[in-house]
Amino acid sequence: MLKMPVSKTQIDRLGDRLKGGSHAESDLRLLDDYRQSFGEAYKAVVRTIRQGGEFPTGRLAKSTASIAEKLLRESIRLSQMQDIAGCRVVVTDVVKQGQFVASLRTVFPGASVIDRRDNPSYGYRAVHIIAEISGKPVEIQVRTVLQHLWAEVSEKASDVLDPTIKYGGGSEWWRNFLTKSSESVATYEEFEKRHSIAVAAKEVADAAHEKFERALAELLDRDPPDHELQELRGELEASTREMERREQEHQELRRELERARNSTADLLSGAISWLDERAKEQKQ
Amino acid sequence: MIFLIEYNRSEGRIVSIRDFDDSQRREAENSRLEIELDLNRKGVENEVVLLEAESRNALDRTHGRYFKDLRKILEDNQKGSGVNA
Repeated sequence: MLKMPVSKTQIDRLGDRLKGGSHAESDLRLLDDYRQSFGEAYKAVVRTIRQGGEFPTGRLAKSTASIAEKLLRESIRLSQMQDIAGCRVVVTDVVKQGQFVASLRTVFPGASVIDRRDNPSYGYRAVHIIAEISGKPVEIQVRTVLQHLWAEVSEKASDVLDPTIKYGGGSEWWRNFLTKSSESVATYEEFEKRHSIAVAAKEVADAAHEKFERALAELLDRDPPDHELQELRGELEASTREMERREQEHQELRRELERARNSTADLLSGAISWLDERAKEQKQ
Repeated sequence: MIFLIEYNRSEGRIVSIRDFDDSQRREAENSRLEIELDLNRKGVENEVVLLEAESRNALDRTHGRYFKDLRKILEDNQKGSGVNA
């Protein structure tokens, strides 16, 4: 059945009614029509991402409860909401996250990028890309495994303990836990980035060293004059020292990375213990 | 695949889950609305959401919140199974 297009004013009035707690069937149907109007844009975005070799999980429709809560929480109109349709990709680490975000900026050149890694929202860290297709925004969430783990803990705790937890509410214990574990993930990912830079530098140094070794071998075959031989040997020794320095740096970063990972794991273990205690209390 | 999920937030558990082929998108959307309208008439405030993923496992990894309790989320991550890319 052909549906009449709905104006922006009608959508915003619908948003006002939902914000006011409307559960009228006509409003739920109108909201559903509005959601479905994002279908083609959503499909185009997911298709493009798949062509790049990633397989996002898509959310075809944000739930009515989530829409109403967001309208109440934030000073935006329904027509301005950018995550009615969206999808999520979870990548292994922060380096791959950067590469994937860069590739999305290439395939969606006009997209806006919301980087919550340096400015977390109540501890939530991720990169959100808002791609716009034919005037319809589609949100692409890009998370690392650790960012995703943190978000899942925050969301689940909000579901079963207190819905305000993921927006900075809840008990002091949970606020502290989410803040500290988010900072811990950020620290870990900072080391991950430094480690990645060190690995790249080590590869460059290793390649340079190999080049010198080959050049020296070729020179020895030609029975070279002493000064050339000395010069090349000097460069080779410098290259060896550089390799050793890089290796040391690499090992130090690995140790720091391990410490940061353990610190994050300790915090998460703390959450498990807390929940276990709570479960025991409830049984008594 | 498309997954239609009814989720009881306060209990942190799935009430029902139904899957559809990619070609059944419109049917899935209609079913989502019907469940929502039915819950609304009964005054039940469950979340009804449509998700699309390569497989149920992929959905577990990116939207584990619906399927696991907190302990399972943490355990699965420690096993290194929380990656899809």
